[in-house]
Amino acid sequence: MNPVVIILFLIIVGMTLAITYFAAKKTNTASEFYTAGGGLSGWQNGLAISGDYLSAASFLGIAGAIALYGFDGFLFSIGYLVAYLVVLFIVAEPLRNLGKYTLADMINSRFNAKKVRAGAALSSITIVIFYMIAQLVGAGALIQLLFDIPYWVAVLLVGIMMTIYVLFGGMTATSWVQIIKAVLLMAGTMIISFLVLAKFNFNIMEMFTFMKTATPHGADYLNPGVKYKVPLDTLSLMIALVLGTAGLPHILMRFFTVRDAKTARSSVMWATWIVGIFYVMTIFLGFGAAAFVGQDLIVSTNPAGNMAAPLLAQALGGDLLMSFVSAVAFATILAVVAGLVLSGASAFAHDIYGQIIKKGKATEKQQMNAARYASVGVAVFSIILALGAQSLNVAFLVSLAFCIAASANLPVIVYTIFWKKFNTAGALSSMITGLVSALILVSISPSVMNPVEGAALITGNPIFPLTNPALLSVPLGFLGGWIGTMLTKEVNEAKFAEVKVKANTGGFRQL
Amino acid sequence: MVVIDKEKSDVREPSKLPDFALIEKSASFQGLMKKKKRFLVPSILLFLGLYILFPLIISYTDVLNTSFIGDISWSWVYALGLFIMTWTLVTVYMKKAAEFDRMAEETLKEFNYEEGHNQ
Repeated sequence: MNPVVIILFLIIVGMTLAITYFAAKKTNTASEFYTAGGGLSGWQNGLAISGDYLSAASFLGIAGAIALYGFDGFLFSIGYLVAYLVVLFIVAEPLRNLGKYTLADMINSRFNAKKVRAGAALSSITIVIFYMIAQLVGAGALIQLLFDIPYWVAVLLVGIMMTIYVLFGGMTATSWVQIIKAVLLMAGTMIISFLVLAKFNFNIMEMFTFMKTATPHGADYLNPGVKYKVPLDTLSLMIALVLGTAGLPHILMRFFTVRDAKTARSSVMWATWIVGIFYVMTIFLGFGAAAFVGQDLIVSTNPAGNMAAPLLAQALGGDLLMSFVSAVAFATILAVVAGLVLSGASAFAHDIYGQIIKKGKATEKQQMNAARYASVGVAVFSIILALGAQSLNVAFLVSLAFCIAASANLPVIVYTIFWKKFNTAGALSSMITGLVSALILVSISPSVMNPVEGAALITGNPIFPLTNPALLSVPLGFLGGWIGTMLTKEVNEAKFAEVKVKANTGGFRQL
Repeated sequence: MVVIDKEKSDVREPSKLPDFALIEKSASFQGLMKKKKRFLVPSILLFLGLYILFPLIISYTDVLNTSFIGDISWSWVYALGLFIMTWTLVTVYMKKAAEFDRMAEETLKEFNYEEGHNQ
């Protein structure tokens, strides 16, 4: 490990700890812990959303996927960006107007039933755990490569850091870690893109012409179909990407950190521009890596292509740029896992302990203690799972998280806001059908079952043909909600009028 | 058909709550909802439609593999088009939302609502 890496690494660790120290002084109430007191401005929250969203999977994963598969790798960038329109047009403002800390708050603003809250908390926790294991396993493998330390040390290191941020600095520290990371990530990506473009004399046409012969795929590299050859699989993946974002608990939580729907809206606008510009640059990262590092070296360093971006930095800017990009990747991982811990903790401590067990009557001190215990609990639990999951293919964990978010959370959100007849039984059946069908379909899919021994968890022919089940499980989530509603007679039009007025005017909010 | 469970719906001291049914039925709120619907529904159908169409076209046909300019094919143009669509719709949404905000404020004013006073 060279000294520059160590110094940059220490700067990032030092900076984030300093933020945590200052944030700790401002974190005395549950509202400050979960939402930074709702005091972030539009651009701050927009940057924090970007920091939360652009995980190592985005930065390293997409760059690697484009380097290896060309156009097909770029499909992820498209899906992850368009997803923000679903967030903005359907979810963000009603969520801010109806909820307080969690998704369950928003759904319960209409139903006020413990089982609905428990269901929403359960699906949130499930998503967070899967997403978290994926991030930690990926982080462990990556840091192991970048810094040449054993896997378990890497996982523990990230685990301890994320616990410190959340435990002491709550949402304020987490938000600022995410903001700084977003700025660093954009800067790093811009530098690499600039260097790549300079190699092609800033001529995009020249770059495309060069890429036609730069890889073993030949001209196909620039066309769809190198990796995704099964049409329904491609469609299903794209559906999970576009609908999943609007159901991810750690993204939804970021809409409670601003004071009103107007600021929530402007933070999505900021995020859309930042994330979009980043995803355009993934083309340059991917093409550059394929052209100047070469697919052989990328694959031999990491079969999934995760090292494409750091290797490209090395090829273009030497050790210094490589160290910078590695440090940015480390900051990226920290920012995302801290957000995940916080959203998992809020489901446990606010929904299950505060609202269900204590019936909303917990004192401020009890709420804070619960939040802190839950954060440590979520962190320790995920670290232990991640330590045991080293050999697991993380790609399916991420796709599973997106799929559950799209199948279990999105239908109930949409029905709660728009459907007059929707009722308690419908809310519950929608969440359970979405969650269970996503889990079952993934566990009998090619991601888990493979006839080649050792290629997946279970050896055998997959029962369900699609790698990502969103194409079926999302409609099932909607269908479950519809059937549950139709089978029971409960209708509360007065409550729906209240929800509609609150969601659309921003008035009468629970403060 | 209408069964209202009193115990469930009225946990938050009903005396302090405004009559939401009345607000919901008011002309100004109905106007806001109509305007929102007229913008949101076609927009959502448009962007989801164009988005879903893309994997279908590239999976089932090769039409986008033809050259747009030099070695850049129409697939890239469509993909970039989806980026531009996203940014455009976000910008349009911000403009429209400012209009919705004004209408919502009017509705709230009509019913004597002041921030922080209810609840």
